[in-house]
Amino acid sequence: MPDPAELYDAILTGDAKKAQEVTKAALEDGVDPSELLQKHMIPAMGEVGRRFECNEYFVPELLIAARAMKTALVLITPHLAEAGAEPAGRVVIGTVQGDLHDIGKNLVSMMMEGAGFQMVDLGVDVPPEKFVQGVQEVEPDIVALSALLSTTMPGMRLTVEALEGAGVRDKVKVMIGGAPVTAKYAQEIRADSYGSDADAAVSEAKRLLGLS
Amino acid sequence: MKAIDIPVFQPRLRVLNRQQALAIHAAALEILETTGFTMEHPTALDLLLGAGCRVPGDGRVRLPSFLVEEALNSAPRQIVLYDQLGNRAMPLVDENPFYGTGSDATFVIDLETGARRRAVLDDAAKFARVVDGLDNISFNMSMANPDDVPIEDIYVHVFAEMVRNTNKPLVFIADSGRDMARIYEIACVVAGGEEELRRKPFLLNYSEAISPLRFPQNVMEKLIFCAEKGIPMCLPSGSNAGGGAPVTLAGALAMGIAENLVGLVVHQLVGKGSPFLFGPNVSVLDMKSTVVSYGCPEWSLTQAALADMRDEIYGLPIWAYAGASDAKVMDAQAGAESMFSIVTAMLCRANLIHDVAFLEYGTTASLEMLVMADELVAMSRFFVEGIPVNDVTLALPAIDRVGKGGPGSMFLMDDHTFEHFQEGQFLPRLLDRSRYDSWEGAGSLDLYRRCNAEARRILTEHEVQAKPAGVLEDIKRVLEGG
Repeated sequence: MPDPAELYDAILTGDAKKAQEVTKAALEDGVDPSELLQKHMIPAMGEVGRRFECNEYFVPELLIAARAMKTALVLITPHLAEAGAEPAGRVVIGTVQGDLHDIGKNLVSMMMEGAGFQMVDLGVDVPPEKFVQGVQEVEPDIVALSALLSTTMPGMRLTVEALEGAGVRDKVKVMIGGAPVTAKYAQEIRADSYGSDADAAVSEAKRLLGLS
Repeated sequence: MKAIDIPVFQPRLRVLNRQQALAIHAAALEILETTGFTMEHPTALDLLLGAGCRVPGDGRVRLPSFLVEEALNSAPRQIVLYDQLGNRAMPLVDENPFYGTGSDATFVIDLETGARRRAVLDDAAKFARVVDGLDNISFNMSMANPDDVPIEDIYVHVFAEMVRNTNKPLVFIADSGRDMARIYEIACVVAGGEEELRRKPFLLNYSEAISPLRFPQNVMEKLIFCAEKGIPMCLPSGSNAGGGAPVTLAGALAMGIAENLVGLVVHQLVGKGSPFLFGPNVSVLDMKSTVVSYGCPEWSLTQAALADMRDEIYGLPIWAYAGASDAKVMDAQAGAESMFSIVTAMLCRANLIHDVAFLEYGTTASLEMLVMADELVAMSRFFVEGIPVNDVTLALPAIDRVGKGGPGSMFLMDDHTFEHFQEGQFLPRLLDRSRYDSWEGAGSLDLYRRCNAEARRILTEHEVQAKPAGVLEDIKRVLEGG
């Protein structure tokens, strides 16, 4: 019988298979899923973040840790829901209309998932009305918009305006990010926040929801 | 049958063809047979005369080329320098490059104030400790020419200070046979005896003849001492184009090589088979300031030429320079000049590469430059590895997985990336690639200030394995012995 504490190392080293095994065994064993989350999984991702900050870890290490985290999260989420526990937050994410780039958006999505957010990914080239629809259906805490090109940035403004037009703007926080995006632009289009990279996006999301 | 691996082409710089190399060599031999040289050491002169040299009425020694051939045959093709703990550290042979500091900077850039000030003994200690803590800097040379020790014993004190503060191999300076003997005494203490030191030398002497074609008494004393004791040495003269040598590089090289060959001949006559690191210093005398340049393309070019001549003719490991600058502060000029010489020295596969961390044409030493050079050497090292081409690196399965994968599929998340990013990419530590906001958030530090912080960190955190108390006592005794 694996020790639930092994989940910490499995996530830290990005061993998704091991993370899955340990989580399954722990759940069968009757271990409290929120204890798994609080005692092992979140501290493991915290350590991953610390190692990234002080240059011990690089992005691939961060991502496979997040992937291991996600494997375990998938297993415990139904149990958490039963117990009435909520994820850190729900996020609708997508690359805005006219832009087909998805690496940055995927990176942010993966990292946020690793940090315990529930992600709903609308994909690339997402028109404003599809974001509105996403917000209405998912009722997220955050809408995250990505653009790689300066020529597609206007899609961000149009999306914010569409959210305002549909009367749902004040129900969500809007985050934007991507190579040409700046904090000043975020202000101009009345978005709530801007993340300069995937790591910053996670901290910004936590800050917006008062989690950090 | 398993397919044969595709060999990896490792980028390699050549600057001379065989005809050029042979012509420069022939010119060097002609200089020795026709112009000759001044030998001011009587024993060395007797040895040369006994071996077949002649001295016509002008008093200058003429050296026949068969002596050069004999010396080239008896000098070892490989010189292995050990560290001070007895580990094999620097096999100087063929294509192995090793970088280290220089010597005798009279000024340093103060780590605390950033000001240029006179060097003191503690600076030699600091450089040695930082060298000890850097992965890509292989040997230590004193850097500082200190103001706070008696001038007649300066090199003994500097050597002791290096021994106390690093265990890496040392390149050292001596003034004459007198201080050389005391330095040797300290080295024997460290190695655990004369025989141990001969078997596992951790030091190499740097001496200089005087261009053009003059071999002073004190310099030859040192050469004879090293040849007798089997201490590896080199004898680069300053045959700088336009200064000690003709302004054209071919002639400057030919003359510098001729001077080196004289050193080699005497050296091998004294101690057949003793290790001799080959090569002159051929920079330029700047035609405006009259300084000898440490950032010019010419020096890099002449040492690349020497590497070609090593491969074509001499077969001996060679002496070189890199990572220095004529700039007065560690600015963009310092970065550009450092990198130019570091990468070309690597590309031409020079062997022992000194002078890393000099500013101001070798007058000022900078710990920040040293720390920067460590990363530039790593960068160059990555470059000369070339591009391995095989099933793993072609990564067709990864391309297939990601290419066919659905939305959200990306190389960053693929196992192949995780397994190979560490060796597949050069991962800089000091060269900043962070996003603007992160860089600004961390204080908007330029490379100079990041290197300053890193040098301070190494001085605080890096622990140099201390010499045994008995060894330190004996060193103190040698120093006090005067």
